[in-house]
Amino acid sequence: MYRFLKKGRVVFSIIFLLIITSSFIFFVNRETLLMSEFLKFQFVPSMLGIFSGGAFVFVLLLALTLLFGRAYCSTLCPLGTYQDIVSRTASLFKSKKNKRYSYDKPFSKLRFGVLLFVGILFIGGISLPLALLDPYSNWGKISNEIISRSEQYIHNGLAAVLPDAIFFRSYANFAIGSFLFALFFLITVTLLSAFKGRLYCNTICPVGSFLGLLSRFAIFKPVIDKETCTKCRLCVINCKSQCIDLDTQTVDESRCVACLNCTVVCKFNSINYKYTWGRNKISVAGNEQTTKIKSEGRRNAMIAMGLMGTALAAKAIKAGPVISSRPKVTGIAPPGAMSIKHLKQNCTACHACVAACPNNIIQPATTEYGIDGILLPVLNFKHHFCSYECNICSQVCPNDALKPLTVKDKQLAQIGQTQFYLEKCIVHTDGTDCGACDEHCPTKAITMVPYGDSGLFIPNMETELCIGCGACEYICPAVPEKAMVVHALSVHQIAAEPTLDKQEKVKVDDFGF
Amino acid sequence: MERRNFLKTAILGGIAGAVQLKSNGIMAGEKMTVSSANDLVAVMGGEPAEMYKKGIEAMGGMTRFVKKGNKVVVKPNIGWDKRPEFAANTNPDLVAAIVKDCLAAGASEVTVFDHTCDEWQASYKNSGIEAAAKAAGAKVAFAHDEKYYRNVQLPKGSRLKEAKIHESILDCDVWINVPVLKNHGGARMTIAMKNFMGIVWDRRFWHSNDLQQCIADCSTFSKMPVLNIVDAYRIMTQNGPKGKSIEDVQTPKAIFMSTDIVAVDTAAVRFFAQFRSDMKLEDVSHIGLGEKMNIGTTDIDKLKVERIRIG
Repeated sequence: MYRFLKKGRVVFSIIFLLIITSSFIFFVNRETLLMSEFLKFQFVPSMLGIFSGGAFVFVLLLALTLLFGRAYCSTLCPLGTYQDIVSRTASLFKSKKNKRYSYDKPFSKLRFGVLLFVGILFIGGISLPLALLDPYSNWGKISNEIISRSEQYIHNGLAAVLPDAIFFRSYANFAIGSFLFALFFLITVTLLSAFKGRLYCNTICPVGSFLGLLSRFAIFKPVIDKETCTKCRLCVINCKSQCIDLDTQTVDESRCVACLNCTVVCKFNSINYKYTWGRNKISVAGNEQTTKIKSEGRRNAMIAMGLMGTALAAKAIKAGPVISSRPKVTGIAPPGAMSIKHLKQNCTACHACVAACPNNIIQPATTEYGIDGILLPVLNFKHHFCSYECNICSQVCPNDALKPLTVKDKQLAQIGQTQFYLEKCIVHTDGTDCGACDEHCPTKAITMVPYGDSGLFIPNMETELCIGCGACEYICPAVPEKAMVVHALSVHQIAAEPTLDKQEKVKVDDFGF
Repeated sequence: MERRNFLKTAILGGIAGAVQLKSNGIMAGEKMTVSSANDLVAVMGGEPAEMYKKGIEAMGGMTRFVKKGNKVVVKPNIGWDKRPEFAANTNPDLVAAIVKDCLAAGASEVTVFDHTCDEWQASYKNSGIEAAAKAAGAKVAFAHDEKYYRNVQLPKGSRLKEAKIHESILDCDVWINVPVLKNHGGARMTIAMKNFMGIVWDRRFWHSNDLQQCIADCSTFSKMPVLNIVDAYRIMTQNGPKGKSIEDVQTPKAIFMSTDIVAVDTAAVRFFAQFRSDMKLEDVSHIGLGEKMNIGTTDIDKLKVERIRIG
């Protein structure tokens, strides 16, 4: 039965990894947003989105953990699956001796320290540490910066071979900082998993640590049958979490990712998932030390629950960042972000929006939001502007960092306000017609009005109609400084509804010439 | 000279002369048919494809412009991510009718493209032009990246002396310009001459270097469209060229055709003035500049114009 379960887990996890990854790939997210729906089945997104549809998934994931321990880490976590693939591949190149795992003591201080640090800052309204350590968000960054970019090179290679059938995709939008971070993270995790199995998951990963604490209360846990176990070490050799201690014949369920490898390799069926609810299995052994570990674990678990409860409570009452760098906000947050504060509290920089934006105008921030907003999505109108008819970024966000907007709502979401600098405008400086901004303005916040007696027309800006889409800024031909500049709003507003400009329907019978 | 040689020469010369005469006759005949064709055709009151059919007949048929084996480009306005009823882009049915007719005239291939303002895939799709053109048998070319454009000198231009022009235009045998009739905040009107902004890469240069002059300059391009067909089935009379709502649209159901780009723009502006009396030809100064630069004539009353009313 375990053999079947394990095969099922492997197949499922690989399919899930492919789905998650594909939602970051150009062709998939241009054709369908279906794959992005699966992003909501990730732990951190479901927790952040708990008050807007994520609750169901969140409860489901908690229930799963309370049933079988950290099954999430072996089935749904894309980074976990990736690490398993790496360990498996690496073992092909290792000597028989080298590919054996052995039991390791937990780095409890480190892992719970990280969890505490991440948790406290998160409650304080800063999601940056979570953004840098969350396995899903980092897999997002890796998918977007490395996998998707590699796909782009392949795509453009094909475009060179078949220029009529395959279009070229510009390399213009390349965020070096985000790329380097993703690369660094990928290399680190690859090396760790190649040599030490699930070490990342059991020392750094805040999700792993949290679920680990929770899994102490799991109803079904892997238990070693001391009667039949011959201490042959087969299970230990195959445990990539290095959490089976044969001296005490126990499995450290806080680190076990429920991969089922041990149950499959055991020749005597001595390691089994057993119903352990309320049963104090260790008291039988009467070992003082394990009891101490156990009570310590229980305390940690309580602290973790407390953290989570506080975090959710803070989220519920929408507490603001307690500590936050407050430079002048220059970053324009994508539509649906509500405010920079909301974005900082809820975004873990998975870059699903960055990958999905058809105009490639969403980019990982550097300093636009201040130091605690690094890598968060920010708009850049250098190469394009925000399409009036598009609401994709708000639809793909699994975290609720970007609230899902209908196209109609998005068309009124004022994410920034444009300021017109007359002294830089071509009509003013050159005395010639331009109107590029008016041409592109979707709401007609910009209209062309007579400019003195020159016979020329100059832009007129009605800020309440402006939604900050950046079309005018993008197209403005004034150099070196644009005459139209969108200024960020730290709190998004609702723009005035564009006027209808009803006109009489004229019926003509003549050509006029 | 020997008599025999003289005779030979005389006979050969005679034959040559006769052939010469005959070919002259053919040429003269052709010239006759050309001069008897209309300079400008205006059609009103039908659906796009049917108006096109009447119009092109009056222009002497597509075979006058497209020869067997020609590579043809049909260049509509696909500037915006707007559906056909918003009149921001050329009517897809009209584009399809032209594509089909080019193929029927023996074109080896027909390519449709535009350098869009809004995101290109959405514009191609929602304008309905990509689907209509493909269904009619055309190839839809990419134009969203600088790599699809090549530099061309415009020696007769006064401000715009060179431009990066789309490879389809440079590589084709003939091209047909199919703009839609709209008002325009910057250029006042956007019709056939303004539609050239969609064959170039860098439009910002135009805006910052006397837009009206640059529009006229680009029409000094040596490879001009063999035919201009202005779509006025739906026209945008306010808030152009992008438009806000369906309120900006009037539906006069007309099209205009001419080989003379200045003439067809003049006709279109005069037609448009029936909807917006404040729109004066002299305000659309790129048209006047075009005439000054000998690109065509605004004096359409002197041209042979055929007006066709359907229904």
